[in-house]
Amino acid sequence: MKKIIFSVIFICTLLFASCGENGKMDETVPTLGVCFYKYDDTYISTVRQALEKEAEGKVKLLLNDGKGDQGTQNDQIDLLIEKNVDALLVNIVDIGAAQTIVDKAKSADVPIIFFNREPAEEVLKSYSKARFVGTNAKDAGIIQGQIIADTWKSDDYDKNNDGILQYVMLKGEPDNPEAVARTEWSIKTVNESGIKTQQLGLQVCNWDTELASRATEAWISKFGDEIEFVVANNDGMAQGAIAALQAAGYNKGDKEKFVSVVGVDATDAAKDLISKGYMTGTVLQDGQAMAMALYTIGVNAASGFDFIDGTDFEYDTTGVSVRIPYQAYNGEK
Amino acid sequence: MIKNKKLSQILLDYSLYIVLGILILIVIIKDPSFISLKNITNILSQASTRGILALGVAGLIVLQGTDLSAGRILGLTAIVSASLLQSTTYASRMYANLPQLPIIIPMLVAVIIGGIFGLINGFGVAKLKLHAFIVTLGTQLIAYGVSCIYIDRPPLGAQPIANLDDRYVRFVTGSLKFGAFEFPYLILYLAIVSVIMWFVWNKTVLGRNMFAIGGNPEAAAVSGVKLSTNIIIIFLISGILYGLAGFLEAGRVGSATSNSGINYELDAISACVVGGVSFSGGVGTIPGVLIGTVILQFINYGLNFIGVSPYLQYIIKGLIIILAVSIDVRKYIEKR
Repeated sequence: MKKIIFSVIFICTLLFASCGENGKMDETVPTLGVCFYKYDDTYISTVRQALEKEAEGKVKLLLNDGKGDQGTQNDQIDLLIEKNVDALLVNIVDIGAAQTIVDKAKSADVPIIFFNREPAEEVLKSYSKARFVGTNAKDAGIIQGQIIADTWKSDDYDKNNDGILQYVMLKGEPDNPEAVARTEWSIKTVNESGIKTQQLGLQVCNWDTELASRATEAWISKFGDEIEFVVANNDGMAQGAIAALQAAGYNKGDKEKFVSVVGVDATDAAKDLISKGYMTGTVLQDGQAMAMALYTIGVNAASGFDFIDGTDFEYDTTGVSVRIPYQAYNGEK
Repeated sequence: MIKNKKLSQILLDYSLYIVLGILILIVIIKDPSFISLKNITNILSQASTRGILALGVAGLIVLQGTDLSAGRILGLTAIVSASLLQSTTYASRMYANLPQLPIIIPMLVAVIIGGIFGLINGFGVAKLKLHAFIVTLGTQLIAYGVSCIYIDRPPLGAQPIANLDDRYVRFVTGSLKFGAFEFPYLILYLAIVSVIMWFVWNKTVLGRNMFAIGGNPEAAAVSGVKLSTNIIIIFLISGILYGLAGFLEAGRVGSATSNSGINYELDAISACVVGGVSFSGGVGTIPGVLIGTVILQFINYGLNFIGVSPYLQYIIKGLIIILAVSIDVRKYIEKR
């Protein structure tokens, strides 16, 4: 018992002593405080790694994991301000809290750049040194809708020949703006291209593969061949849907037993499924481009220049947001 | 030889505090700027809502129970208080026609909702004879479900509840100013709650009964303590504290969503364990819980301050909890 306790103590201290900032950085390089809403999100971790690579040796990054909790992120921002960072890059957890965060930055006079999750325009405009870099939330839905519409028109996907596209929807979170926009605009775009749709079911699966798989299983046993499309807010859930479909004998290469599945994110797993023909398409959110934009704009802000000075970036109509475009991905490139 | 053994015994009994002391020392050595008044008030005010939550959970652990629903109950009460205190000039409010309410009303509503959940938990444990783990596992899901239903309603549909009333935000995040020194209200609120809870635990019949039941339920029952009434009241108090913490948390964060409060119960339970509240029941003190909360927050903040990878932070915290419980178990075995 004693030995065990002592060894736990030993490991604890060792671990602790060995980590922390490695080496002394040049004091003159700018410091960027970066807050991610959650470290282990596929897309966000692509951005994080690309950003770290880009900044290596040139800029000091203080990275923080919000763990999906706005309270935790608030604490981290207080800490970064106390550490005198030159600029803040914030992937906010809950956009509702943006005003609180902006106020913190404002009172410390630190430039703040939100990314990926977009705060309301008036919140950004309440502080002259606040900007947003990210995609347009509804674009992912629109591109997903286009993929669905193109697929529907390209071949005979109307299994029951009623001229109506029957689909089930896998939604991310109930109140997440990305999830809300994707859910709404994917179907709206399909409808606008002249296709009638009918929703057989909608389930909130918290972006989770396992939950999506269970929901899809239930739908298959209820609706069977009536389901013509599975629309998922992200690839993780699309993957879960495909797992359930395959367990029920669908999407294994037989063209007669196929349900079209679309997602968003273009994760490696999804690309693989698309290349095998098990999945129809996804929407690519370009993590590299996002990291580049963050780096350039962040360094500008930290060095006291205007955010987009000397770059190719432009603000959209709001005058405070820089947009990174989405792209459709269906395995052709 | 005997003297030597004694020293190692002492070292072992206090090993947790020694480790934590070393950790704090390392933080300070790595970055001496850590010792600043602002950092310390930051840590204390960050610890406040978690501390109130931990004070609620602590009573249940003393009763040999636990509470997995604390975080979600906090989330639900945060959502409700935020929805009742949105800025009246904000166009997409949840209640468009709601006049500006006195702050006390949403606070009472939050406390009542928390209290109701506490009663349900207490009823399950005292009357249905369920283990607290099971009841609160259930109520945790119920609280989440209610939050989602509450937040995802027409005409607005699901969206974070934001743009809170200025008075509310100031009430929570404001501070007393003594010249250049700022003393956050949040620390004051935690202090008030702690004093009240200290009184309940140490100076009332209820508190005595709580320790008696936690230490040995059969003996307590034989000596005439009404088990179910006392258990239900302790659970009710915990629920009230979650409600209060939820009310403060929404104001502190500036917004509430269906995700608010997720996993907070784990932090609260860890704080109790680190602060010496025994899982075998009947043992625990209010100052212990407070010290546990502050130490964990200190480490949290300190690790971030010197830039430790978040993934490593999980591992370190996990080890600290295992260490804390293993020391607790060792003391318990000795007692027998």
